[in-house]
Formats: sequence, structure tokens, C-alpha cells
Amino acid sequence: MGKKREIQSDALVVRDLKKGDAKAMEEIVRRYSNKVYNLAYHLTRDSAAAEEIMQDVFLTVIAKIATLTNEAYFSTWLYRVTTNAAYGFLRKEKKFSEQTPVEDLDGEHHASVDWSELPDDVLLSEESREVLKRSIDSLPEAMRTVVIMKDMEGLKNEEIAEALGISVPAVKSRLHRGRLMLRDQLSDYFSKYTKPSGEDA
Amino acid sequence: MNCKICSALFQEFLEKSLCEELISEVDRHLKKCGQCRSSMHTYSLTIVLSSRADPPCCVPAEKMDELKKILMERFCTKKTA
Repeated sequence: MGKKREIQSDALVVRDLKKGDAKAMEEIVRRYSNKVYNLAYHLTRDSAAAEEIMQDVFLTVIAKIATLTNEAYFSTWLYRVTTNAAYGFLRKEKKFSEQTPVEDLDGEHHASVDWSELPDDVLLSEESREVLKRSIDSLPEAMRTVVIMKDMEGLKNEEIAEALGISVPAVKSRLHRGRLMLRDQLSDYFSKYTKPSGEDA
Repeated sequence: MNCKICSALFQEFLEKSLCEELISEVDRHLKKCGQCRSSMHTYSLTIVLSSRADPPCCVPAEKMDELKKILMERFCTKKTA
């Protein structure tokens, strides 16, 4: 059964789940528990909350799976449930900043310094990772969610759009602007290790 | 192509989703514009560093066991309801 499940598409497993197959439920948990947990953790930065959200998400799967009309959209539905639960937690904790009108934000076109040639021990240091995590956390909510889903969780633009109920161009726009803001924050941080552009020219 | 347009196309350029004509235009601009080249490199590295900033981890084993137990109980209750 395990091997058979391995090659089954989500749609087939979800179909079995709708019929009340407990093995299908186990398989869904096996496939998605870490994904749901990580997405919830990155959105909330709270491991206890992520565990609670993960549990609530799978309980929602049990309660609401019959309402999912197209089984092929299971994963995006699951990410939507997870994102909503994480937003719910952040609202409760008053950590949720309402959507910034992203269309009004304009990214810098050039980085002030070129830090791309810095050695790996600087680029990948614990300190630079902390700076980046803080920068991601301080992004406007609309961008933060998309950056986390794309660059940290590795979801496709189409999956993010479906999960968040926005268009693919909106995903791309938020992602681009979010990355530009992160790049600028990293440029500020790495500037102490490098010279301003053009100084060597 | 100017710097503003080039910068706006970084994402699609890196995802290789631009048409050939635009790829050539971006390439041509990058060859002659050092600032956009730097910008592209740092933009690309920002994506790489973001993916490594907080690597994914596994659900703790004891939480996983607890979760499975709760879910199976709920699942069986729902089936018999």
C-alpha cells in the first residue's frame, strides 16, 4: 500500500480521503505536515503557534474536505487554510499589519553597493541570516507572505496566487518589490564589508 | 532599454520566462551597464540568501505522534457519525 500511495497523485489520495479511507488521511499528513508546519512557522515565527496551526489545518481538512470540489487543487487549498490560520494567529497577537498599498511603493533600481562578490563566510554568516530574517519580518504583510511562500517555501507563482486569491501578476509584483526591499536592507548591512559602486572604477 | 525597465525585468529574466527578444535586450543592457549588472547580481543573491535564511525543519516527532492520534480519533468519529 505504501509504495502504491507513493506514486498516487494528490487528487487520487484526496478522492480516497473523501470516501473515508484512513490510510489516505495518513498519507496526506505524511506528505504535507512538514510543509504546513514550515509555512505556518515562517509566517508566525512561533514554533508553538505553528504546531497548533498545523493541527487545526488538518482538523479542517477532515471537517471540510467534502467541500473541495476539484481534488487537483488540494495543495493550494491547504496552503490557503494554513495562511488564513497564520493570519488569524497574528491578528490575535496583534502582530498583523494590514496590507500596505503595494502599488504605491517603488523599489530602488540600483543597489548602492555591489556585495555579490563578498566571500561566503560573510554572505552566509549567522549575523547576515538574522538581518535577513528581521528584514523579511519587517516587510509589508502583502509582500512578506509572498516572499515567504516563494523564496522560503519554494511554491510556484500559480500556487501562491491560488492560495492567496490574487492574480499571478499581483504575486510577481509583490515578490519583486519585496525582493528589492530585502536587497536594499542587505546592501545597507553588507556595505560595511564593501566599497561603494564605482570606487574602484 | 533603460535601467528602470531592465530592473523591472530581473524577476522574469532570472526565471527564464522572457521572450528571446527581451532576453537579448536585457543581455545587451547588462553588458554595457555596470550598475544594472551589480543590481542583478545582488537581486539574484537576495533570492538565494532568503532561501537559506531559515531552512525548513521537520515537525518534532512527539508532536507528529500526537497529531496522528488526534486526527485518527477525529477521522473515525466523523466516519461513524
